[in-house]
Amino acid sequence: MAIASEYTGSSDRWGQLAKTLKKRAFRSPSDTLTSVFIFGLMLYMAWMLVDWALFSAVWRAEDVEHCAEAGGACWSVIAARHRLILFGLYPYDLHWRSTLACIAIVATVVLSCLPHFWSTSKLVTLWIVGFGTYVLLMDGSLLGQAQVTTDQWGGLALTLFMFSAVVLLGMPMGLLLALARRSRLPAVKGAASLLIDFIRSLPLLTTLFAAAVVIPLLLPDWLNGDKIWRVIVGFALFFACYQAEVFRGGFQAIPKGQFEAGRALGLTSFQILSRIVMPQVFRHALPSTINMVVVTFKETAIVIIIGFFDVLASANAAFGTVEWAPYYIEVYAFVGAIYWIFIFSLSQYGEYLKGRMSVAKR
Amino acid sequence: MATSIAKIACAVAFAAGVAAPVTAFSKSATVTEIEERGTLLCSGHNGSYFGFVEVNDKNEWKGLDIDMCRALTTAILGDPDKAQIVPLSWAQRFPALQSGDVDVIIKATGWTMGRDTEVGLQFSLPYFFGGTQFMAHGDLGITEAKELDGGTICVEAGTTIERLAGNYLKTIGVEHTMVSYEKASELRAAYLANRCDAFAAWGPFLAVLRATELEKPDAHIILSDQLSNEPIAAAMRQGDEEFVDMVNWMIAALLIAEEEGVTSANVEEMAANPPNPKIARLLGVDPGMGERLGIRDTWAREMIAATGNFGEIYDRNLGEGSPYKLDRGLNNLWSHGGVLYAPILD
Repeated sequence: MAIASEYTGSSDRWGQLAKTLKKRAFRSPSDTLTSVFIFGLMLYMAWMLVDWALFSAVWRAEDVEHCAEAGGACWSVIAARHRLILFGLYPYDLHWRSTLACIAIVATVVLSCLPHFWSTSKLVTLWIVGFGTYVLLMDGSLLGQAQVTTDQWGGLALTLFMFSAVVLLGMPMGLLLALARRSRLPAVKGAASLLIDFIRSLPLLTTLFAAAVVIPLLLPDWLNGDKIWRVIVGFALFFACYQAEVFRGGFQAIPKGQFEAGRALGLTSFQILSRIVMPQVFRHALPSTINMVVVTFKETAIVIIIGFFDVLASANAAFGTVEWAPYYIEVYAFVGAIYWIFIFSLSQYGEYLKGRMSVAKR
Repeated sequence: MATSIAKIACAVAFAAGVAAPVTAFSKSATVTEIEERGTLLCSGHNGSYFGFVEVNDKNEWKGLDIDMCRALTTAILGDPDKAQIVPLSWAQRFPALQSGDVDVIIKATGWTMGRDTEVGLQFSLPYFFGGTQFMAHGDLGITEAKELDGGTICVEAGTTIERLAGNYLKTIGVEHTMVSYEKASELRAAYLANRCDAFAAWGPFLAVLRATELEKPDAHIILSDQLSNEPIAAAMRQGDEEFVDMVNWMIAALLIAEEEGVTSANVEEMAANPPNPKIARLLGVDPGMGERLGIRDTWAREMIAATGNFGEIYDRNLGEGSPYKLDRGLNNLWSHGGVLYAPILD
C-alpha cells in the first residue's frame, strides 16, 4: 500500500512535470522546435563539460605526456602541484605543520559559528587558542621546530588565516566604531565618522599598499612589526569601517520607543544595549554581514599585489613552469572550486542563522 | 675634501711603490647587516616569471634571477641556502627595497634613467640583455612592424614594454590600437584567441612562449624589429657604493670564471693548482679578492662551487640545459659574439 502510494505519488510528480513542460515548452510546433534545439544544446554542453572534466581527463602526474592527445582536462597538474597551491612556499618537508595549522584555523572558525560558543569569554578564549595554535605551528620556533618566517607562508593556509584574522578582528572593531558613531559625545562621534568615511573613500588596494609598503618608510624599525600583521590590521580596519555602516543600518531599524521603554523600566544604557538593542541589530544586519564576509573572502586575493603568496598567487606559480604552463585552466578550476566550497559554506551558514533567528523572533 | 685626501693618499702610496694595499677598505654597511642577520633578503615574485623566477614541484624557488641571488648569498655568507627570497609584485619591488624589506632586487629589472635618478636606485653591471620584440600570427604574412598598420597590439600593463611599443610604432608611423592586460596569462589567451594581431613582449619571453606553449611554433613569427636592448641589472639602494662593488664583482667573478673555464666541476682542482695568476687571484689562492670587499678571500671559489659560472647558470635556467633552449645570443661573453664582459681583475 505504502509502496503503491509512493509509486503513484512519484508518477504524479512526473506527470505534473510533463504537463508543465508541455504547457511551457511544447505548446506549438515552433515552440517544440526551439525547445528541442535549446535542450539539445544544453545537453551537449553539459556532456562536453563532463567529458572534459572526467572521462577524457588525465589524472596522474606521471601521465602528463598523454595530456596533449587526451583532449580532456589535465588534472596531472593538480596531482603534481597541489601542495604548492595549498601551502605556497612553505618548506616541503614541513607541510604537516601547515596542514595542522589550516585545520586549527578552520576549526576555530567553525566552532565560533556554533551557538554553544557565543559568549564573550568563550569566543575570546577560542580565538586566542585557535590563532595561537596557527601561529605557533606555522612559525615553529617556539615549538622547538625549524622556524619558518612569514614570507614563506602561503597558499590556502595564508588565505584562510588572513581571512579569518581580518573578520575576527574587524567584527568587534566595526561594532565599536558603530557604537562610537552613535555616541552623544561630539568628539567621539566626529572621530568615528571621520575615520569611517576616510577609510571608506580609499580603495582597499591603497589601504593595503600603505600598510605593506608606505608605513615602513614612515615608522621607526622597532614599531613596524612583520608585514603580514600590518596588512591584517589595515585590512581589518577597512572591513570594520564597512561593517560599522552595516551595524548602523541595524541600529536605525530599531524604534526610538524601545530605548525610552528601557529607560522607563530603569535599565542602564549598557543593559538596554546588550539585552534589547544588540540582539535585534545583529538580526537586522545579518544578511549584509554575510555579504561582507563573503566579499572579504574573495577580496583576500588582492594581497597578491603586495607580494603575498596567497592561494591565487601560488596557483599562478603552479602553472608557471614550462611543463605545466598549458594547463592553467585546470589550475584555475581547482582554485575556483576551493573558493566555491568556502563561500558556499559561508552562505549556507548565513541561511542557517537566518532560520535560527526567525525562531527567536517568534 | 675626504675624496681628495683619499686621492692624495692613493697617489702617495702609488708613488712610494707600496705593494701592500692601503688597509682601510671601507666595508659595505649592507654586507655587515646581512652578515649580522645571517640571511640575504632577495626579491622573488608573486607567482612565476618564466626562466627567471619559478617555483619547482618541491615548492622551492628556481630560475636565473634566483640563481644570481643564491650566488650573491654564497659570496657574502658562504651558503646559497641562506638566501631568503621575499615574494614581491612588480609594482612593489622598489618601495620594498627602499623600506629594507629586501637587500637587493634581482628580478628581471631593466636599468632605466628614471629608476636610476627619480626612484633613487643604483644599478650593477648588466647581467642579461633582453630586447622588446613583436610576435605576430604567421598567417598575416608579415616580417616587420611597419606592416602592422591598423592592427591591434597587446601588451602587459605597467611595464616598460607598454611605453616602448607605443613610442616605437608612433615613430615609424604605424596606426594601431594598444590593449593592455594585467597578467601574462590573459595576454597570452587574448593573442591565441586572435584578439590581437601581434603582441609586444620581451624577446626571451616570446621565444619561451613560442617554443613551449603554442601548438605550432612555426605559425608564429617574431618580427625582426628590435625595439630596445634592455640591460637587466641588479638594483640596490643609493648610498652604499661598497655594496654596489660587491654585487658588481659577484657578477664579474661569474663572468671571469666562465672566460677562464672555471666551472662548478673543476673549481677545487683549479684552486689546488691554479693554471694562471688570474685564476689564482679569482679563487682566493692569491690574496686580495675578498679583502678589498671586506669578506673572505675564497668567496668566488665557494660561489662557483655552489652555483657554477655564469654560463652554467644561464644554461641551467634558460639555455641548452633548460626546457627553453634559448640561444645565448647577446648574452654570451664578448669573446663569443655577445655583449657580456667583466671589468679587469687586477
